[in-house]
Amino acid sequence: MSFAARFGASFRREAAFLARSPWDLALLTWLPLVLCALIAWQLSAGVIRDLPVALVDTERSALSRDIAIRIEGAPGMRLAYTVPDMRAAESLARSGAVEAIVLVPPEATQRALEGRGQITLYVNAAHSAASSTIQRDMAAIIAAANARAAVEQIAAISPPGKVRPAPLAVRSLIAFNAPASQEQQLVSLLHPALLHLLFMLAVVSAFGRELRDATVAEWRPDGASIAGKAALYVLAFMVWGAGVTAYLAGFRGWALAGGPALLMTGYLAMFAAYAGVSLLLVGITRRMSQSLSLTGLYAGASFAFAGAIFPVDQASGFAKFWAEILPFTHFARLLALDWITGAPTNVAAAPLVPLGLITLVTAVPGAWLYLRASQRPEDWGKR
Amino acid sequence: MWAAFRAVFAAIFADRAAALLLLGAPILYAVLYPSAYSGEIVIDAPVVVVDLDRSAASRDLVRRAAATSQVRLVAALASPQEAQEWLASDQASAAIIIPEGYSRAIAQGRSGNVMLVGSGAHLLRSSTALTGIGAALASTAREAAFEQARAAGPAAPPALQLVTRALFNTREGYGAAVFPGVAFVIVHQSLLLGLTLLAATAREKLGAPLRVTPAQFAGLGLAASTIAMVQVCWFAGLVFWWQDYPRAAAPLGQVLVGAALFVAATAALVLLLASLFRTRERPLQLGLAVSLPLFFLSGLTWPAAATPAPVLWLSRLFPTTPGLEVMVGLNQMGGTLADYAGALGNLAVLTAVFGGIALWRWTAPRRS
Repeated sequence: MSFAARFGASFRREAAFLARSPWDLALLTWLPLVLCALIAWQLSAGVIRDLPVALVDTERSALSRDIAIRIEGAPGMRLAYTVPDMRAAESLARSGAVEAIVLVPPEATQRALEGRGQITLYVNAAHSAASSTIQRDMAAIIAAANARAAVEQIAAISPPGKVRPAPLAVRSLIAFNAPASQEQQLVSLLHPALLHLLFMLAVVSAFGRELRDATVAEWRPDGASIAGKAALYVLAFMVWGAGVTAYLAGFRGWALAGGPALLMTGYLAMFAAYAGVSLLLVGITRRMSQSLSLTGLYAGASFAFAGAIFPVDQASGFAKFWAEILPFTHFARLLALDWITGAPTNVAAAPLVPLGLITLVTAVPGAWLYLRASQRPEDWGKR
Repeated sequence: MWAAFRAVFAAIFADRAAALLLLGAPILYAVLYPSAYSGEIVIDAPVVVVDLDRSAASRDLVRRAAATSQVRLVAALASPQEAQEWLASDQASAAIIIPEGYSRAIAQGRSGNVMLVGSGAHLLRSSTALTGIGAALASTAREAAFEQARAAGPAAPPALQLVTRALFNTREGYGAAVFPGVAFVIVHQSLLLGLTLLAATAREKLGAPLRVTPAQFAGLGLAASTIAMVQVCWFAGLVFWWQDYPRAAAPLGQVLVGAALFVAATAALVLLLASLFRTRERPLQLGLAVSLPLFFLSGLTWPAAATPAPVLWLSRLFPTTPGLEVMVGLNQMGGTLADYAGALGNLAVLTAVFGGIALWRWTAPRRS
């Protein structure tokens, strides 16, 4: 038989198996759908709004009322409680009723008139996304309150013509993601993070199952049939990759700055690399259960190591090495360059090189080990 | 009961895959996971500068910005377009742009404009860089005000100053914010996958659903809870201390009570699921990928206030959501059990419901 015939026969054999086995089919169908939809739904608010905040108003002054009104008006915050002391506010923060505490200390008004007023913001740093939103909004509130105070109060006590604007005006903005939405950043990465793990589980199962059930005897694989079997899973997950991209870029409107072709090539290269790793794990352990456990260890924490949310530049040497051998890290780089910043194609396509390398150094020995095991009956049926 | 208790441990030690999941995974993850965040805080984010003013004042501003620990100046560029390219190719996290006329504006008593641009590709890193540069510019602003005052009288001082303090995670490290929650997802997943794998294997060998007496069921539940409790103690007692994460904020007795409820709810869910699987490898295939959504549903990273209500209700069906709230609250935030009455009630209800169904599934008389 020709390569194409063996490839096609193996592809059809796998499809026929999946048609008979609903739980194996679930890994390609409803499980990715449910998990991706859940993440997408949870993060669909995108920009965090209306986080509950407690105001500790020790002063009951025009200033504290002004701050309270501004908190209500801020997009990221909502004034949930006004309490007279810190003890009550801390208890609210502990129980999760508020995400932050704004303290207007005694004599704040008097000190503000002297130009040394202080407002203290206590944020719950255990919740990082919420605390950064609140810090940004509070900084804007204080700047606005200062601008008003400069006009109303200080102008009133200073000689005319002596009040000037502050000497330095800083304007901050975020390029490529103007609303600083976390939906685009998180969902665009969480979806492939889920998909690559499900893909690896499906491929490890597909190859491990043949050894476990000793069906390799009847299948008698070679390079072409290994490729044909893996191709079915690559195809199915490419459909999911296109689907989640269409959801976020089309339906949610986070348009791709670069092109969809490069992103899809990235998906293809990532899945090829994970197929190689899967084959290598099955080839080494020759046991489905152990290779699945190792899959969890290898691909389960990819999201933490990808460096997309928290940079791994300062992490230990081991962490940097571990990040480099995870295909997801390289895919996340490609995604940031192609989807978010719209880098030139030659720059954005660079991560395809390490992805190809990982595919090569895992698939070749993986296929060799797997084919060897497929010819040794003593390697079959192990649990 | 004790025979069933001992049988669980004998089965674990006889099964390499189960031992790896129940004993190996907590140890490996305790090393692997925190290493991703061993940088803890963002330092040396790459920043480019475009100085179109080329004056003593602008050079001074650049020098101050470069001196902050959060940023590292990687290039001085000639135009904003070049800065845009550096950001687009992800070689820089932020750009400082000083327009022409900056020093003249300050000398004439007007505002000197500075523009900071962060890259949307890495929101955390760029916002940290912007915060650091902003703080450095504030000191420049004070000196510029002093310079101006000599010529044109005092500028309007900012009447209010905002001081930000961290309430609980006082190190403000990223790992310290994430791992104390992730640890309990690891406990949950380790127990779920390890024990369902064992139960499915036993059922496969028997060729029929496993049936036990209520006393034996209690033994199984006790064994599951013991393993989970040892893991909780391993993470909360040793790993948090070793990684120097915020910990032990609440009295030990309260932490143990909270942990016991989390462990009971988890064990009840695990026993229920263990009665459903028929193939040894199936739980691993279907259960491994759930970890990431479980962590996000717990609300530690993404606040509940921004989560749609139906998703919130759904998240309450998993022991990890109330479990993380209680354990992070007690361990890191120093709350008391009374602060988490809702979550504790949630855990108790889950224990009763899952445990009840599991008891029925495990002890119902065998149908012929």
